[in-house]
Amino acid sequence: MIDPTDPPLEATGHPYDSDGVDVTLIRWMLDMTPAERLQVLQSFVDATWKARGADDET
Amino acid sequence: MTKPDFGCLLRILAEHDVDFLVVGGVGAILQGATLSTFDLDIVHSTEPANITRLLAALEDMDACYRAQLEKRIRPNQTHLSSPGHQLLMTRFGPLDVLGSIGKGRRYQDLLPHSAEMTIGEGIRIRVLDLQTQIAVKEEVGQEKDLAALPLLRRALEESRRKRGAP
Repeated sequence: MIDPTDPPLEATGHPYDSDGVDVTLIRWMLDMTPAERLQVLQSFVDATWKARGADDET
Repeated sequence: MTKPDFGCLLRILAEHDVDFLVVGGVGAILQGATLSTFDLDIVHSTEPANITRLLAALEDMDACYRAQLEKRIRPNQTHLSSPGHQLLMTRFGPLDVLGSIGKGRRYQDLLPHSAEMTIGEGIRIRVLDLQTQIAVKEEVGQEKDLAALPLLRRALEESRRKRGAP
């Protein structure tokens, strides 16, 4: 749970919040358009499939 | 196993003018959450005319139930009118067609909590907002849903900060 009394992450100089979430990645995603975010996901899926050698089966 | 192609699934639904909301992992990622997923979850309007359009879209995708894929059982009007979950496999990967989510929240309940997005080539879709996605996961309370909450909450927080919203 996000605690409103937590210091801002900028103040801690730490990329992770108290739950261990990497906020720099979220900010990177938020700088993109929705279409670009979907492309990031699709690229992840494509790379995973390629790594499994499953492309030939589809 | 069929590789997911989220763009194709969304394009076909949009081309058939299906009234639906993107929910789940893809919906969260479209709003900046750093999750990964291999299926597309949608909640659809169960108005009869919309179900007719949805059935045509599902036919184009060659959708069958995943549980007994070899039997090639296809969803019908009755299945899609129910509040239940239709877990399908298509030519473009897994597609979960949900009549409701959480504690009986249906398309009409969720629609005011969604926003339109363009995902390329003029394809416009509606996506359930993060705040409501979080509320749904909290009310379901399953372990896999609870595990995603820190990421979703932080994505919502950062999104609000970026927009200058309270």
